[in-house]
Amino acid sequence: MKNDAVTIQSPSGLAQHLIQPARARATPDRSRRGSLLHHARLIAVKEFGDRFRSGWVIACVLVWLGAIGLTSFFGLLQIGRIGIQGYERTVISLLNLVQYLVPLLGLLLGHDLIVSENEERTLRLILAGGITRTRLLLGKFLGGCATLAVPLTLGFIIAGAVIGLTSKDSSIEPFLRLAASGLVLGVLFVGIGLTISTFCRTRVQALVLSLLAWCLAVFVFDLVALSLLVSTKAPVAAEEIEMVCATTHVNAALDIHSDFENSGGAIGTPASLVRTKPTTSLGWLAANPIDLFRAINIAPQLGIQVPVLTVLLTVGLWLGATLGLSLWKLSRTDL
Amino acid sequence: MSAYLQISDLTKRYGRICALDRINLSIERGSVTALLGPNGAGKSTLFGCLLGFTQPTAGMIQLQDQPLGDAERAGFGYLAERVALYPHRTALENAAFFAELKGHDTAAAEEQLKRVRLHSVRDRKVRQLSKGMLQRLGLAIALCGQPQLLLLDEPFNGLDPALLDTLQLILSEERERGATLLISTHTMSAIQPLASHVAVLLQGRLAAFGSVEELRAEHPELESLEDIYQQIARRGRVGEEVFT
Repeated sequence: MKNDAVTIQSPSGLAQHLIQPARARATPDRSRRGSLLHHARLIAVKEFGDRFRSGWVIACVLVWLGAIGLTSFFGLLQIGRIGIQGYERTVISLLNLVQYLVPLLGLLLGHDLIVSENEERTLRLILAGGITRTRLLLGKFLGGCATLAVPLTLGFIIAGAVIGLTSKDSSIEPFLRLAASGLVLGVLFVGIGLTISTFCRTRVQALVLSLLAWCLAVFVFDLVALSLLVSTKAPVAAEEIEMVCATTHVNAALDIHSDFENSGGAIGTPASLVRTKPTTSLGWLAANPIDLFRAINIAPQLGIQVPVLTVLLTVGLWLGATLGLSLWKLSRTDL
Repeated sequence: MSAYLQISDLTKRYGRICALDRINLSIERGSVTALLGPNGAGKSTLFGCLLGFTQPTAGMIQLQDQPLGDAERAGFGYLAERVALYPHRTALENAAFFAELKGHDTAAAEEQLKRVRLHSVRDRKVRQLSKGMLQRLGLAIALCGQPQLLLLDEPFNGLDPALLDTLQLILSEERERGATLLISTHTMSAIQPLASHVAVLLQGRLAAFGSVEELRAEHPELESLEDIYQQIARRGRVGEEVFT
């Protein structure tokens, strides 16, 4: 190869450069160049690095820690008690916070993953390097998930340690379930945000749509579900309405805490739900990841069981649908 | 001998607007093709099709007799008309990121930063760079990994004479190396010393294509590339009026 090299003397004072003919150019490592994971990792690391520099990750850890700490300390204020609670009661108090905050964080992270690069015109330069849109999307999604998972996990670990040490509670299982299901919930909403990001032309449009999606998932879905049950007036509807209220209603935590007090320490089925029998016709609630998340975390208190298959199916379907739809749209978008 | 880059009946429509109308181009390896045309002629759309930003409505693009795909594009270098990079990242971080995407290491990026004389500001954030520096950084990114095909969209825009000289020199070096260059520009004086071929796009149609010598032979009365382009453009406009 050395014989093919041509040395160019620069008349304008540039340093001399050894320039090889294009046919004999230094070919990059094909295994690295062609690897899906290599490209996805590079884009994900860059995405996480950018968010870390912007202070997003640190701010998120602090907010999350504060939220868990305050909820654990003041969670029993409604029934006249203050102080750090054990894991199980912290979980009940945290449910509302997680179901509102985590989807919102996921959407805020996901909504500008693609549209911001498109608006800034950096997306063109990435694709010009021969990166497929599938790799770009995967990298962006993984980067978004990491940005959400790191602060949430840190927050859960620190708060979990503090709660365990302060309340001398060793039954950490409900707390771990909350942390795991909360993370999965966040990942699903990063996916929804990513889909919104591929469909929008501007960041403002994506933000507005994300907030609408959040309202839809957090409030509207449950109201519509209840309205449908009420309108059918079926005998089973009365039981289902109570169950739906328990899995979606914001005051369910208060009911459960009150029940805890009345039963002398053991959390069981809340008094308001004593008549409620476990029912299998509520599978449609799993269509909304937030309701599924609540159901997973208060299943023992409600005396119901959430089948693992339902959880896996819901998560798989949501991930498949959001990533598939994003890829479909992105591959048809002219930049 | 088959062409290095073959564009056959390439058409791109946006609804009722035809941005590219059955473009046929055969680009030889090692050639420097000046892509000329007024604003809205379809130059950027053609670049978009070549770089995968835009899906053609019809037609085919082949690189060395193979359909052009994303894997082949990893061997391309691209300089946008308006260089857009990550403003909160340094010059080196930007260059290294795009080099890594193509499978090259940071050293390759540093080498190109030296070449465009930006090595002294490699740790400066992109938002702190001047327009000329940004243009050179974009060029350094395009040159990473010694690409086989360089696509440069209006590279001479807004450059002062010294920078223009530097850019012309680097492009000459690339030509000497054997790279194929496709340069979209309005700056005829800057492209004239470099170009081996000229393609003129008018309203999405290829109005003329050939080597500089061929075009000069067709227009013996005209001296400069700019005069030849003006004549083709005038002829194209007249043809358009007759057509309409």
